[in-house]
Amino acid sequence: MAREPMNITEHEKGPMRLFAVRTGAKDVVTIEGSVFGGLYMLPRAKQMVPRMATNLFDAGTQNKTKEQLRSSLATKGASMYFSPGGDRTHFYASCLPEDTDFILKLIVECLSEATFPPAEVTNQKKRTLAGLEELKSDTGTQASQALSRLIYEKEHVNYPDETSVDMEHAAQTTRKDMLKFQSMLGQGGLVLAIAGDIEPDKILKQAEKAFSKLPKGTAAETVKRVNAKKPSVSEALVHIPDKATIDTYIGVHVPITYESEDYTALKVFVSMLGGNGLSTGHLMRTIRERDGLTYGIAAGLRGLGGKADGAFGIHATFSPATFNQAVAKVREEISIFLKTGMTEEALQIKKDELIGRYYVGLSTTRGLAGMLHMIGDEGKPLAYIDEYPSLIHAVTVADLKRVAMLIPFDKLSLAAAGTFDIKK
Amino acid sequence: MAKATTVPGIRRVKTLGGITEYTLEKNGLRILLVPDTSVPVAGCMVTYNVGSRNEAVGYTGSAHLLEHLVFKGTGKFNTQMGTSMDKLLESKGALVNATTSFDRTNYYEVLASDQLPLAIEIEADRMRTARFLESDRASEMAVVRNEYEMYENDPASALDKEVWGAAFMAHPYHHPIIGWKSDIEGVAIERLKQFYDDFYWPNNATVTIAGSFVEKEVLFLIEKYFGVHSASPHTIPSVYTVEPKQEGQRRVQTQRAGNQVVTVSHKIPNALHEDIPALLMLSSVLYEDKTSRLYKAFIDSALATDVGAYCNQLHDQSLFQASVTLAPGTTHAKAEQLLLKEYARIASDGITAAELASAKRGARVYASRRKDGVYAFLSALNEEIAMGDWTRFITLHEALDAVTRKDVQRVAQKYFVHEQSTVGWSVNAPVKKR
Repeated sequence: MAREPMNITEHEKGPMRLFAVRTGAKDVVTIEGSVFGGLYMLPRAKQMVPRMATNLFDAGTQNKTKEQLRSSLATKGASMYFSPGGDRTHFYASCLPEDTDFILKLIVECLSEATFPPAEVTNQKKRTLAGLEELKSDTGTQASQALSRLIYEKEHVNYPDETSVDMEHAAQTTRKDMLKFQSMLGQGGLVLAIAGDIEPDKILKQAEKAFSKLPKGTAAETVKRVNAKKPSVSEALVHIPDKATIDTYIGVHVPITYESEDYTALKVFVSMLGGNGLSTGHLMRTIRERDGLTYGIAAGLRGLGGKADGAFGIHATFSPATFNQAVAKVREEISIFLKTGMTEEALQIKKDELIGRYYVGLSTTRGLAGMLHMIGDEGKPLAYIDEYPSLIHAVTVADLKRVAMLIPFDKLSLAAAGTFDIKK
Repeated sequence: MAKATTVPGIRRVKTLGGITEYTLEKNGLRILLVPDTSVPVAGCMVTYNVGSRNEAVGYTGSAHLLEHLVFKGTGKFNTQMGTSMDKLLESKGALVNATTSFDRTNYYEVLASDQLPLAIEIEADRMRTARFLESDRASEMAVVRNEYEMYENDPASALDKEVWGAAFMAHPYHHPIIGWKSDIEGVAIERLKQFYDDFYWPNNATVTIAGSFVEKEVLFLIEKYFGVHSASPHTIPSVYTVEPKQEGQRRVQTQRAGNQVVTVSHKIPNALHEDIPALLMLSSVLYEDKTSRLYKAFIDSALATDVGAYCNQLHDQSLFQASVTLAPGTTHAKAEQLLLKEYARIASDGITAAELASAKRGARVYASRRKDGVYAFLSALNEEIAMGDWTRFITLHEALDAVTRKDVQRVAQKYFVHEQSTVGWSVNAPVKKR
């Protein structure tokens, strides 16, 4: 289906890329943005620093106490939070239209002037350690990380440390570490997307003014990271007591990044195999709908952020009693799909689904801001937002068969976490 | 006010805040139209006034299992004929799903506006012609059992189930929405079919259409497809069970490896009660943002990793709940004591003007967010339908704005009563050998 091009305003100012779009949503403004500076740019032993520091960006600045800062947000009913990424530090905010300028200035103040008061650092350390302790019994996290440890070499950015190692690193984190991390952040690579009940030109002028006060920052654009570990069939079972279901990941490293020309076709291929829909993903159609072996099963590409090469992975939850049977069935259905699933008809259905769902996704301020931020993050032209459907439409069955060869399906590894039925 | 569209056989009932209610005269189907031409998509949601509150011993979880089964097919739309509902809708890029709660079950599609007729046709068809095959029950039962097990993986979810079970002895809010595991496994296909025939009728449902569409065309489509059904030949079964008065605090404890949690729940009235707006403001003061009382008491101090307060809004008497996930070193007793101390402070001293102002501002943001996108709109309106009055979607903001500090203090005194509370502890117990 053809659509009118969207009326989006883009400003580029120095290293900053800013987008704004007015939507029909009344009284709603959504802001999503990021700047260079993240986990991948730090030594492994310091990777807990951004995770802890971003939680304290609103715990006091050079001009405001924690109480003043948080009260100023609360009185406006606004929300704002920060999160660490691989090469970027992200921020999100939501507010009423009349408070947008205030929020933009506050984001800048937090990014550049957070003071990390010693008492707050001490409490953040306690909270982080407590949160990590909880993760030890989280089957989803433990299975996902176990798969990454099987398929990446230790030096790769996508290789996660054991939770106990993260706890050691968190315990060693200091206020000085946080201040040093903060100095990385600046105008470099700034991407800002604002969607909702706004006047785009006015709001972008306000944004330019606010963010021009950010220092330059020391973080620079990142380089590609390549995983040198050769794929091999391996398995990791993480035993966690008292669990009723087993989180299961099956996957393998794939040597491509977002920038690869094969990325779009590979995304379509993976969605045909393991998309979320009950009917348009082969694994949902068979493992769930036909066999009743899981509530949900999905395939995806993971770990491709920040120019790192990533992986192909399948995630599902299985009952302990049928775990072995279910895993065998998944492997069998992958083989069947590779032999018979890549047809013209199935591809056309998938294209229609992806394009239709794309437009549905853009019909909220959150979806629109997220898409614009992704365009800025991945260095794509603004026209991509209108061109994406034609890129999907251009994928052929020959493309699918070619990109399927990029995934070494005979080298799939298995990682699972839960309480295993030892009788089996 | 804009002139309402008219179509033969469909009667306009009222218009409020851009939402117009109609009735399909032949069978009593309620229709809500919410036009918004600023988006290129539209959504269709059918809300049935049936949920886990309509179940009883032996067939708990039936509303939810039925929701899964209804996706399996009808005479016209099914996999064998290559016309499965999922395939037809998902291949058009529709966001398709269904959800079940205490008081309602819904089915919905959000999709390009030109595909709306397909969504309406499918929803009308599955209202009365769903197929019930034992083979479908057997495979879907296993899917639902896996969903049940996912909840069981989380100590907080497992505790919450026990708390509702203790707080409600007679009323069906006693059992979990997903049902007891043995009922999920054991309920017969005939019982599920009976449940469908009891409740899936136009006079027990509301179809809501939101987004970009032509009102007259949509009303014609609704009349064409939903108009083939008659009203139910029987009175829709009602729930007449009233929870007996609670006579003293109840306490439950679960033991399993993992997070340690404390929850405190108090009985509150149904969602349409006049005290609910003040209770919503109270929950906001307790936990809305980083200035709220429970955040300061538990998260700022690093005594907990997570905290929350929630005023349930249900069709019948319900619970005001707070939960705390303990940080290592924090005891259950200490967390419970601290939580109750914050409650007592509000009951004795009230809240500040600044706290109320923030809560009201937050309510305005919340009201706007409920309209950000077709799904958000449909989902929020659907909850109001389930509570018993869709107009509350429009009027609630005004009611919240009228709440005073005295109101908040009064409801804290009235409902935070020891004898009406249920306390739950999830304890990280020594691991059982398996």
